[in-house]
Amino acid sequence: MSILLDPSSRIMVQGITGRQGRFHSKRMLENGTQIVGGTSPGQGGDWCFDGSLPIFDTVRDCIDATNADTSVLFVPPHSAADAIMEAIDCGIKTIISITGSIPLHDMMQVKAALKKSNSLLIGPNSPGVLVPEIGIAGVFPDEIATKGNVAVISRSGTLIYEVLDTLKITNIGVSTAVGIGDDPISGIDFRTCLELFESDPHTEKIVMIGGPGGVSELNAASYIMEHVTKPVIAYLVGENLSTSILRPLFSQNGALVLDSAGAKTGSLVDAGVLLANTIEEIPTLLNR
Amino acid sequence: MRLQEYQAKTLLRNSGIPVPVSMLANNVVQVKRVASEIGYPVVLKAQAMEPGRGKSGGVRLVQSQQDLENISTEMFGLVFDKYPVQSILVEKAFTFSKEYYLGIRTDFDLGCPVLRISEAGGATCLETESFMNAPLFEQTIDINRGLKTFEIRNLLAQIDIDSSLWKQFISISLKLYNLYCLKDASLIELNSLVVTHQQQLFALDAKITIDNKSIYRQDQFVNAFDPSFLSDVERQAMKYDVNYMRFPGELGCIVNGIGLAYLTIDQLIRMQNVPAAVIDIHGAATISSIAFSMETLFRDERVHTIMVNIFGGMTDCEMVADGIISSIKFNNQNKPVFIRLKGTNHQIAIDRLSMHENIRFFDTTESLTQAALDSLKESLA
Repeated sequence: MSILLDPSSRIMVQGITGRQGRFHSKRMLENGTQIVGGTSPGQGGDWCFDGSLPIFDTVRDCIDATNADTSVLFVPPHSAADAIMEAIDCGIKTIISITGSIPLHDMMQVKAALKKSNSLLIGPNSPGVLVPEIGIAGVFPDEIATKGNVAVISRSGTLIYEVLDTLKITNIGVSTAVGIGDDPISGIDFRTCLELFESDPHTEKIVMIGGPGGVSELNAASYIMEHVTKPVIAYLVGENLSTSILRPLFSQNGALVLDSAGAKTGSLVDAGVLLANTIEEIPTLLNR
Repeated sequence: MRLQEYQAKTLLRNSGIPVPVSMLANNVVQVKRVASEIGYPVVLKAQAMEPGRGKSGGVRLVQSQQDLENISTEMFGLVFDKYPVQSILVEKAFTFSKEYYLGIRTDFDLGCPVLRISEAGGATCLETESFMNAPLFEQTIDINRGLKTFEIRNLLAQIDIDSSLWKQFISISLKLYNLYCLKDASLIELNSLVVTHQQQLFALDAKITIDNKSIYRQDQFVNAFDPSFLSDVERQAMKYDVNYMRFPGELGCIVNGIGLAYLTIDQLIRMQNVPAAVIDIHGAATISSIAFSMETLFRDERVHTIMVNIFGGMTDCEMVADGIISSIKFNNQNKPVFIRLKGTNHQIAIDRLSMHENIRFFDTTESLTQAALDSLKESLA
């Protein structure tokens, strides 16, 4: 068993007939993921992938027919918040939004809806959840990890691929990898993931990959200090963003970068976290 | 997207929030005409995004027509952040007895709006300062319930303000929140909100930022947006939905994802280098956005060497290859291109690209960066 995605997970795809939805659903199936159906409003009753997967108009219809409990979203940003709230309303347990760039005010509505529900939102702008030998609920590259007992949590999509690739090369297996996304307002944070991994019997060590902006790493640090007994290794990018050359240029561009990731390292170290200065150092610290 | 002051003030005025009489002028002749229409004394305010423009001569009080020509000519000659001043807001000047700060920000961690009040507004100079000396009182807002009058009163009760002004302050706060919701704003700041000697509240300066991801449903800003504040490349990058970051170096980088962009910058700085540009094509890149990014680096005279670092998950490497191929014809200076493609469909992509000259492939970020820097050193030697 594993967290967020296990052999009993019944996955549906919201927006299964769009360009991204179709492309990545096919890859998920090829990776052995148990997808039970999808939605595409107006195309209910059709089937996709050579008649192997049913398409529904609504999440409600999909759940009624397939007992789906997990949803992966490939809905365009402008209607993504609506799709997330539809999933929340129907009681979907784990909602994974691959879609990013959702309007800020829409995300505030989503946050309010989440508060009153038991659903977990992963993302927006998440690469999804990967559990080796069980499947991919998202867009992780094929064959990027082998089974093991290291959990990986990351804000960045590409960096989690980099880290998984490095772990694979050094023969370190993974229990669960989860990309929480890097949008300004998002669902579960490092803290919630740490809580899940702390109680996951298949996870022995945890790697977290962070960066500049926000307070998610700081909240994680205080949670680790109080509650996490498993070793945590952190890798943070963006250490040089506050240097005098880069900072003004970044802010001029309007990128949401104001503080250096370097400022966060102190509190993580205080919490007993081992810091990796480069991706290559992560396996060394894990093997220590 | 940060609105310019005159755009922000128009929004406030249309929402019924009191702002001083003002008009926009694009040259000295217009400034003169507008000033005499409004009546002296007037304040000239250069329309520039630069914080602290007041200290650099971007905000000037003009008592009479004699001083106007010199001051406005000087102001049109100012350059803020590389962009020359193109317009001046001419505003009726008036005196006031006290300044406040009133704003609504978006709390990203809580995922809700926050109303904030302080009794230290713009302080001594006419220009907005981003820091304040007095405590800031904040109230989170339930997005479903909306801002309530008692919540505003809770804040007012904590600051030094004459209770006869409460009604005006509450009315302005409610209108401001309405504007925040209606226009998909991420930040609205009135700094300062002043009290005139007639006990009237006026918004002297205003900052409004509209959420970039919502511009599609706020079309008045697409038209109102003055692109002269962005360079050609930045403007086009916005159109292609790529994130273009300019730096002072000689190496051009294309990456997918902001995390990989940070990693690249970290690594270059560790190797004593700085990029010329880093372009993040995002997960949902298209052939045309990739081709645009490559073309931009081919055309950039500062760029001697190009490195492309893609780890495809959402990003399909096959599409990246097609984008690069369609841009190769613009590489008329034969700049060396170093590429690392991993992840989704990377083998197909590498096979397709290997038919082209001037491209070399690498397996890791480290080997890619090292090779690109070596080549750069050679070309600069």
